[in-house]
Amino acid sequence: MDYLAEKYLRPRKIPSTACSGCGLGQVHKKVVMAIDELGLEQGDVVWGTGIGCAGRQTFNTWKGDNFAGTHGRVYALACGLRIALPPEKKIILTVGDGDAFGIGLLHLLNCARRNVDITVIVCDNFGYQSTGGQFGYTTPRGFRTDSSPYGMFENNWTQNGVDILNILRDAGATFLARHTSFEGHAAVDSIKKAIENKGFSLVHVLYPCVTNFGGRALGSRRPSEIYKWFEQITLKAGEEPEEGQPGFHTGVYYDISNSREEYSSVVKNLTKRVQAGEV
Amino acid sequence: MKKVFDTGNAAITEAAIIAGCQIYAGYPITPSTEIAENMSRRLPQAGGYYVQTEDELAGLYTCLGASLGGMKAMTSTSGPGYVLFSDPYGWGISSEIPVVIIDAQRVGPVSGITGAPGQGEFYLSRYPTHGGNYETIVLAPNSVQEAFDMTVRAFYLAERFRTPVTILADQLVTDGWESFEIPETADELKEKGLEIVERKVNCGPEFFPASDEIDIPPVVLGYNTGAACSDWTPTEEGYDIEDPVAHLKHSYRLVYKIRNHRELIDRHEAWFMEDDPEIVLVSYGSPSRVVTSAVKAARAQGIRAGAIRLQSLWPFQDQLFEKKTKYLVVELNFEGQLVREVQRATGENKDVHFYGKCGELPGVHELLQAMKEILSDQKITFEKFVSEAW
Amino acid sequence: MARTEVLISGFGGQGVVRIGQTLGLAAVLSDLHTTMLVSHGTETRGGYVRTQVVISDEQIDSPVIESPDYFCAMSNAAYQRFRHMMDQGTLIYDPGFVTPDDSLGCKQTAVPARNLSAEHFGKELFANMIMYGYIIRRLNGKISKEQAIEALKQRIPRSLEENIKAFELGYAL
Repeated sequence: MDYLAEKYLRPRKIPSTACSGCGLGQVHKKVVMAIDELGLEQGDVVWGTGIGCAGRQTFNTWKGDNFAGTHGRVYALACGLRIALPPEKKIILTVGDGDAFGIGLLHLLNCARRNVDITVIVCDNFGYQSTGGQFGYTTPRGFRTDSSPYGMFENNWTQNGVDILNILRDAGATFLARHTSFEGHAAVDSIKKAIENKGFSLVHVLYPCVTNFGGRALGSRRPSEIYKWFEQITLKAGEEPEEGQPGFHTGVYYDISNSREEYSSVVKNLTKRVQAGEV
Repeated sequence: MKKVFDTGNAAITEAAIIAGCQIYAGYPITPSTEIAENMSRRLPQAGGYYVQTEDELAGLYTCLGASLGGMKAMTSTSGPGYVLFSDPYGWGISSEIPVVIIDAQRVGPVSGITGAPGQGEFYLSRYPTHGGNYETIVLAPNSVQEAFDMTVRAFYLAERFRTPVTILADQLVTDGWESFEIPETADELKEKGLEIVERKVNCGPEFFPASDEIDIPPVVLGYNTGAACSDWTPTEEGYDIEDPVAHLKHSYRLVYKIRNHRELIDRHEAWFMEDDPEIVLVSYGSPSRVVTSAVKAARAQGIRAGAIRLQSLWPFQDQLFEKKTKYLVVELNFEGQLVREVQRATGENKDVHFYGKCGELPGVHELLQAMKEILSDQKITFEKFVSEAW
Repeated sequence: MARTEVLISGFGGQGVVRIGQTLGLAAVLSDLHTTMLVSHGTETRGGYVRTQVVISDEQIDSPVIESPDYFCAMSNAAYQRFRHMMDQGTLIYDPGFVTPDDSLGCKQTAVPARNLSAEHFGKELFANMIMYGYIIRRLNGKISKEQAIEALKQRIPRSLEENIKAFELGYAL
C-alpha cells in the first residue's frame, strides 16, 4: 500500500490501530486501488464512514475531505451531501455490517430506492466486533458469539435463501457486488464499477476478525485457520452451501449501472422544470 | 412590505426562503405538516430542493448533510418527531453545522392529541441530545409575524454560531391565522431589524480552535482542503481522539461560543414592569397572548400586575427574574417546566406559582382568578384538578 | 372597532374554516387586526370543526374566544358543544340542523343557509357563503360589502359566481 498510501492517505492515520491480522486493511486497500485505477485524484472523492471497526479505522484516512456519521445514519447525511456537492464528486462510504444491515438499514434502503449516487462499501466482519463480539445480521446460524453463547439463534440476512443483496436490488440499487477480502483484483474491479455507476452502488466485502470472531466463533485466532474457513464459505459457480452452513458466491451480483436517473439529478431537474414553468 | 393573511406555517416557509434556505428535508407530522407541504411547492420555485425522508432522523441528517455541502437547510416537526431528532441534533451540535429546526409543540407524551397545542419540549430543547457539554439556542414566537421574523433570525444565528438553532413554536402559532408582513427589499428587511448572513466556508484542514469565537465559518466539504468532521471528539485539526483534554477544549468551544455572545441571542418582552408590580406573569409562546390580555384586565381592576414574555428560551435569561415579587408562570403543560427554571433564577426571593393547562389555552378569567388567589395567599384553584403548590 | 369575537362551528365538509379564512381576510383588507384559530384533528373526528375569529382595530392579544359576540352554529353537535359560552351576543343557527333551546339567555337568529343553498343552487355546498354574507351584514359596516366580496374572490376563486350569489343571499337576510 506504500505508494497508494503516500498518494492518497494521511500519514497520521496509516498504519491504522486495527488488531494484527485484521482483514479490514485489505478492504481499505482495495477501495484505494480502485480509486487509483480509475485515475481519480484526492479532490474527486469525499469519504464518509460510520461506526464500528470499519468506521473508526477508516475515518479521516483520506487526504481529501472526510466525514463520519453516528451509527447507521451516514446514509441520510450522504443523501443531503449528494444534493449539495457538484455531481462529479464521488461520495464513498466505508461502513460496517451492523451499520448498514442493522441500525442503518432503513436509511440504506431508502437511498437505494431513490438511487442516491453514493458508493457504499460494507466491510463485513460477521457481527459487532468493536464492542467485543456480539452477533449481527450476517453471523452464521449456530455460531457462538458473546451474545449468542448457545449459538446464533436468529435468522440472518445471508442464509437459508435470504440475501440482503436481493432486498437491496428490489429496493432499487443499481449496482451490487460481493467479495471477500482474500480475493484479489476481482474485488477491485467491482469497486471500480461501483464508483463508476452514477447511482446507488453497494459492495459487500467479507473480511476476517481474528480477535473476536476468529477466537470465539471459529475457535481459532490463527490466520491460516481463518483463511481456510473463508475458502470454505466462498462458493464456486453452481456450488451451493452445505445444509445449515454459510456460503457466498462472489463477484458482480447485479449491474444496471447508469440506467436510472440518480436522486440529486431528479430533484435538481424538478426544480429546473418548476422554475421554467413546465410543471 | 407585502401583507399576507395566512398561517404560522406559511410565514415560516416564506421566511426560510428569504433567509436563503436551499433545502428542506423532513417527515410530515401534524401540526407542522403544512411547512413540509409549503416547502415542497415553494422551494423549487425559489431554486431549492424538497426531500421527504423515511423518518425524522433522516430528515434532520439530510439537512445536516446538505449543510455540510454548503447549503442552508431547515426541517420541522412536532413532539413525536422531535424526540427522534436527538441523534442528529448531537451530530449537528458537535460537528458545529448550521441548521434551523422548527418544533410545533403539541400535547404529549407520545402521540397525545395531534391537533392541540402543548409546551412539553422546553427542557428537551435545552438538552435535545445526550452527553452534556453543549449549549443550545432556542427561540419562541407567539404570533405569525414573529414566526416569520424568528425564522429569518434563526438562519442568521445558525450561520454565525455554526450550530443548530431551534424555534420552539406551538400548534396555535403554526396553525393559527394572522396577517403578517413580508419584507421585499433589503431596506425593508433592515427596517424590521433582520439580517441575512451568507454561508461562508471553513476550508480546513483545521477544525476549530478551543475558543469562544463566533463567525468562524463551518466545515464545508467538497473543496479538497482536507476538511473533516465526525461524531467523535475532535482534535483542532478534525482528527478523532479519545482524550479528556481534547474533549474539554471541544466542550469549552461548544458552551462558550454561545454563553459569551448572549447579546445576539437574548430577547424578551415586558409589560407593566416599571412600577414594581405585585405579581409578574411569566410565559412564552401562545399562552403569552392570553397573559397580556389578563394583565391588562388585572390593571383595569386595580391589580398591579406585570408580565415577562421570553422570546429566546435558551440560554435562559436569569437576569429577568431579579425583582423580589410574586411570579405566576403560565404554561401549556400540566407538570410545570418553565416554572422550574424561573424558580431557580429567582433564587432566595422565590415566590413562584404555576398555572398549567393541558391542550388548550387558559382563559383570561382563569388567570385573573389565579392572580387574585395568589395575592390573597390562597391556593390556586383549577377548574378540574387542584395542582400541587409551587 | 372594539374587539369582536366570532365563533363558527359545524361539521367537516361544510366549509366552516373557509368562512373563517374569508372573514379574516376581509378584516385584513379593511385594515383591521384579526386572528383565527382553527381546530382540527381530534375535534374534526369528534363531530365538529371550530374556528375562532377575533377582529379588532387594536392589536389582538388573546386569540381565544371566551365570550362570543357571534356564535354561528352550523350543526347540532356544534350548537350543543358551545351554547354554554353564550352569556351575551347573538347565536346564529341553521334550522336545517339545529332545533334551538329557547331557555338560552342570548339572542338567537335562524339563518336557513342549508335550505336556501339547496333551493337556489340545487345543493347545500354554498350554505357557508350564505352564512358568511349574513355575518358580514351583522357586523354593520365594520367590514364593507366590497371588501367582503374581494376577500371571497381571493380566498375562493372556484365557483365564484355561485359563491358571490350565495353571499348576496345571506347579506340580504
